[in-house]
Amino acid sequence: MIAIVKRVLLTFLLLLLSSLAVFAAIRLSGGDVTAARLPASATAEDRELFREQIGLNKPILTQYVDYLAKVAKGDLGNSLTNNAKISSLATEKIKNSLILGTAAIVLVFGIGIPLGMMAAFRRNSWLDTSISSASVAGMAIPNFWLALLVVWLFSSSLGWFPSAGQGGFKYLVLPSIVLAAEGIALTVRMTRSAMLENLSQDFVRTLRASGLSEGRIYFKHILRNSLLPIISLAGLRVGQIVGYALVVETIFGWPGVGQILVNGVLRRDYPIVQFFSLLLVVVVTLGNLAANVGYTLANPRLRK
Amino acid sequence: MTNETPLLEIKDLSVGLRASNIAYDILRKVSLTVNRNEILAVVGESGCGKSVTALSILQLQSNPPLFITGGSIMYGGRDLVTLSKKAIRAVRGSEIAMIFQDPMSALDPMFTVGTLLTSAVHAHQSVGKDVAEKIALEALEDAGIEDPKRRFGEYPFHLSGGVAQRVMIALALVNNPKLIVADEPTTALDVTVQAQILDRLKELKKDRGMSIMLITHNLGVVASVADRMAVMYTGEVVEMGAVSDVFDKPQHPYTTGLLGAVPRLGGAASDLTPIVGRVPQLDELPVGCTFVDRCSRAVEQCSTTRPTLQVRGRAEVRCHNPVG
Repeated sequence: MIAIVKRVLLTFLLLLLSSLAVFAAIRLSGGDVTAARLPASATAEDRELFREQIGLNKPILTQYVDYLAKVAKGDLGNSLTNNAKISSLATEKIKNSLILGTAAIVLVFGIGIPLGMMAAFRRNSWLDTSISSASVAGMAIPNFWLALLVVWLFSSSLGWFPSAGQGGFKYLVLPSIVLAAEGIALTVRMTRSAMLENLSQDFVRTLRASGLSEGRIYFKHILRNSLLPIISLAGLRVGQIVGYALVVETIFGWPGVGQILVNGVLRRDYPIVQFFSLLLVVVVTLGNLAANVGYTLANPRLRK
Repeated sequence: MTNETPLLEIKDLSVGLRASNIAYDILRKVSLTVNRNEILAVVGESGCGKSVTALSILQLQSNPPLFITGGSIMYGGRDLVTLSKKAIRAVRGSEIAMIFQDPMSALDPMFTVGTLLTSAVHAHQSVGKDVAEKIALEALEDAGIEDPKRRFGEYPFHLSGGVAQRVMIALALVNNPKLIVADEPTTALDVTVQAQILDRLKELKKDRGMSIMLITHNLGVVASVADRMAVMYTGEVVEMGAVSDVFDKPQHPYTTGLLGAVPRLGGAASDLTPIVGRVPQLDELPVGCTFVDRCSRAVEQCSTTRPTLQVRGRAEVRCHNPVG
C-alpha cells in the first residue's frame, strides 16, 4: 500500500518535472511563434502585440506558474496555430495513436516471442541463423529508412498497401510494422537468449528425467521462466514505440499524437507541444507501471 | 539372487568428452550391475565419473560435449544406449527415475509442487486430472511429507531443503519405477534430514521392492544403507562387491586408502591416513594403472599394463597387486 502511494507521488513529481523541462525547452529553442499564426504581411508591432496577448513577454517561470494554474482548472489552452481547443483535439489524436501503438505492441510480442522461441528450439539450425540475422538487421536499420523502403516496395512497386493516411485495416499495416520492427528484433533476441539460458538450468534435467517431451519442456517450462525478463523490459518497449511514433506517424501521415506533436514543435505551437509531450510521458510511465505489475503477477516469488 | 538376471546391467560403458580440439575419455569400460530389490552404492571422489555414469543410464548426460563411445546399458532386455529419443523418454520416470543433488535448483521455480507432480504423471499415464492429483498426493505421502495437501499448492521456493528433496522423491515415485538412480541426494542437506531421507529410501526398497542406485562420496551413507557397492576412480570401477565384504576386506589399495581416510568417533586425528598425491588430470593419465603414482603397493607391471576388473574372493577388483 505504502509502495503504491509512493509510486503515485513519484509519478506526479515526474510529470511536474518533465512539464517544466518541456515548457522551458520549447521556449528556449528559439523560433517564432507568430510566423505560423499571423500573415506574412503582419508588422513588427502586430507580432509584438500577439506575443504580449499570450503572455510570452513575462519571465518563463511566471508563464509556467500561470500555465499550471490554468491546467489545474481544467483548461489545457488552445492551439496557437488555429485556435482549436486542445481538449477537443486530443480525443481523436489519442484514439488514432492508441490504434497504431497497440498494433505495434501486439506485433512486438506476438511476433517477437514466437520467433525467439523457434530460434532457441532449433538453435544452430538454418532457421535459427535466419531468424537471428533478420533480428540483427531489424536492430540496425533505422526506422525512417525502413519506412521509405516498405513504402517503395509495398506501395509504389507492388501496390498492396496505401503509402500514407488513415482508413481501414490496410492503412494500419505498413506503419505498425515499421513502428514495431526494432522492438520485434530486440524481443526475438531476448527471448532466444533467455530460453537458452534457462535450458541449462538444473530443473530442465529433472523434467527430462520425469519423461516430459522436449516440446512440453520448451513451450511450457522454459517459456514460462523466460517470460520474466521479457515482461520486465516491456516498459522499455512501450517507451521505444512512443518515441518512434513521432517519426512513423509523420512519414505515414498518420493523424495521431506523434504527428501533431512534430508539427507543433515546427510551428512553435507551445500549448500543443506542452500537452502532447506530457501525454507521452504519462504513457511511458503507465507502460512501466504495467510492466512492473505484470512482473509481480508472473513471478510466484513476488506474488502474495 | 545370483542366477537371476540383474535389473540393470551396465557393460563396458565408455563416455568421451569432445570439445573443439580435445577428446578425453571420462568413463572407460565401466561395468556395474544393479539387482532387483537392492541398493547399490557408487562411491568415489569428485570427478571420478560416478555422476556421468548415473546420467548416462537415462541418456541425460550433457550431449554435447559428452558422447557415449561404447558399451551397453541393458534394462528389461533392451539396450538403453541404442534407444530412440522417444523410446528413452518412455523409460524416463516410468521404469527408471532419478533424484538429483540440489533439490532447490532441480525443481522448476515457476510451478507449484502439484503441477510439477501431475505433469510427471501425465507424461506417462493417460488419466484425468482428479486421478493425477490423487496419485501426486499419495506420492507426497509416500515420500514422507506430513501435510501433502498444503505442499501441493506451494512453490519450490516455499520449501526447505529437506522437504524439497522429499518432493524430488515424490516426483520419482509418481510413475512407480522399478529403479531409482539417486545422484548424491543428501549432499546438500544437514545431517538429521540426511538420515531421514536415507531411511525413506531404505523403506521404499523394502515396501515397494524397488532398487536404488545411490551415487555418493560419503562412506558413512554407504555403510548405513547400501547392500552392494562399487568404488570408482578416474572413470573406472576399481572394486565392486557386497558392502560388508568391501568394508571388512578391501582389496584395492584405493579402497583401503578411502576407508583409512574416514574419521571414527573417538579416534584421534592422527589415526586418519590421507591418500598421498592427487587425482591425475584426464590428459595425464598413466599408461598402466591410473592409481600407480599414489599407490604404496605398486609393482613394475602397474606402470606398464592397465589392470582389468577380475573376480577375486567374494568381490571384483581392478589391481595387479591387491591387498589380502
